[in-house]
Amino acid sequence: MKIIETKFAESFYESLVRGVTGISPDVLQLMEEALAEEKSPPARAMLEAMLKNVQLAQKLRKGVCQSPGIPCIYVRCGPELAGIDVRKITGESIIRATREGYLRPSIVHPLTRKNTGDNSGPGIPNFEIELDPGLDYLEAIVSFKGCGPELFNTFKTFTPESLGKNFAGFKRFLLETVINAGGKPCPPIGLGIGIGGQMDGAAKLSRKAISTRKWNDRHPDPELNLLEQDLKDKINQLGIGPGGVGGQTTALTVKIGIAYTHTAICPVAINFHCWVARRFGFKVYADGTMEEIL
Amino acid sequence: MKRPVHLSTPLATESIRNLKVHDIVTLSGTIYTARDMAHLKLKELKKSRKPMPEVFRGAVIFHAGPVVKKEGSGFTLLTIGPTTSIRMEPHSDLMGKLGVKASVGKGGMGNESLQAFKKYGMVYLLAAPGCGVLHAQAVKEVKQVHWLEELGMPEAIWVLEVTDWGPLTVAMDSHGNSLFHTIYEEGLKKLDSLIKD
Repeated sequence: MKIIETKFAESFYESLVRGVTGISPDVLQLMEEALAEEKSPPARAMLEAMLKNVQLAQKLRKGVCQSPGIPCIYVRCGPELAGIDVRKITGESIIRATREGYLRPSIVHPLTRKNTGDNSGPGIPNFEIELDPGLDYLEAIVSFKGCGPELFNTFKTFTPESLGKNFAGFKRFLLETVINAGGKPCPPIGLGIGIGGQMDGAAKLSRKAISTRKWNDRHPDPELNLLEQDLKDKINQLGIGPGGVGGQTTALTVKIGIAYTHTAICPVAINFHCWVARRFGFKVYADGTMEEIL
Repeated sequence: MKRPVHLSTPLATESIRNLKVHDIVTLSGTIYTARDMAHLKLKELKKSRKPMPEVFRGAVIFHAGPVVKKEGSGFTLLTIGPTTSIRMEPHSDLMGKLGVKASVGKGGMGNESLQAFKKYGMVYLLAAPGCGVLHAQAVKEVKQVHWLEELGMPEAIWVLEVTDWGPLTVAMDSHGNSLFHTIYEEGLKKLDSLIKD
């Protein structure tokens, strides 16, 4: 296990540096497509600046955005690999990348506001681990986004009545939330929507949907896939645009995660993601083989 | 895109009054970073009539927290980009009183700021969000830092020398106009046609 741990730690650090000095290839592709379609000159100028920044970051090997937010790590683990201390390894890599200048030390005590200086602290990184007896590997997906978008995350518990016909109540709530956020969450945004469970469940689903899926994938449930497309189209008619300067490019994607819920309620959580999606992931097998998945 | 207006610090009120929403600006000279904690600390100093760390007459405030590396006796700036300006909304009047002429950030500010911009002759400049490396290219020198130990890297006041920084968009001017307000109103108008209850 020690050998695998060492190898995992090395690969993790390398992936982390590569991950934060660029944006995910699927998101880059969506940005380029958006620029090809966008007609508004100020919006085009904004998208061009963003793409130029990505090129510069890769060329100069610098953090693509100064804001690493709160790092989020999603792990799924089979029984053979349950002995790897993923939390410790990933936390140490984040501290190392902070010391090397790839990440800004942004983590503070929530009340005293004292900065820990190295992105460490209780509850950091945001870490979810799921044990799955059916897996013969460990999978880790890591996501960095700016923290500005977090200011606009929101939650509402609908009732069957307020959910409305064709979910009109939910759709109105979502669009109002996006209009109020305007240019503030660094559009073009990705939007994660968690539906179902209870408050905490919906909130976790909303973050996970936008943090772990490729932004150009399709929801496996055809109805939810249609809903994702419909919501994205509606958001892009609001005219907010990249950086909030107006234009048709407001959302690059909408991702929905659902869980079943109680007959009395429909909890909905909305999680904003900036365009600077720094995401990477890989699998580790018991024989030490590593495989990149994102 | 419009031809940029080039401005140098300290900024004169007259040149700020000439700017209108949608104008494009490039900036050279000294700028100061300030986020939530620096604004709160400046407010405390003003309230208790203690001396300010800098003279902010004609100043440019950048809502930003950089990534900086200590090298020898000085600092090297690696990346810097705008943070969400609306958090600084309660402090625009104080900024005006201190003589600040431009705030640079992302996402825009609200009505209180718009009033302050009118009263004191100030503007809000939008910097491309998420572009930490791009903006860092304009920073030629880290001149000084205030309150680094106490507030930490993002929240300290970094005094930076910039050359031809931009393009920055005038998104709120000193005549009561805000690009963001217009876009917000248009979005609300669109809402009903998008939702068929």
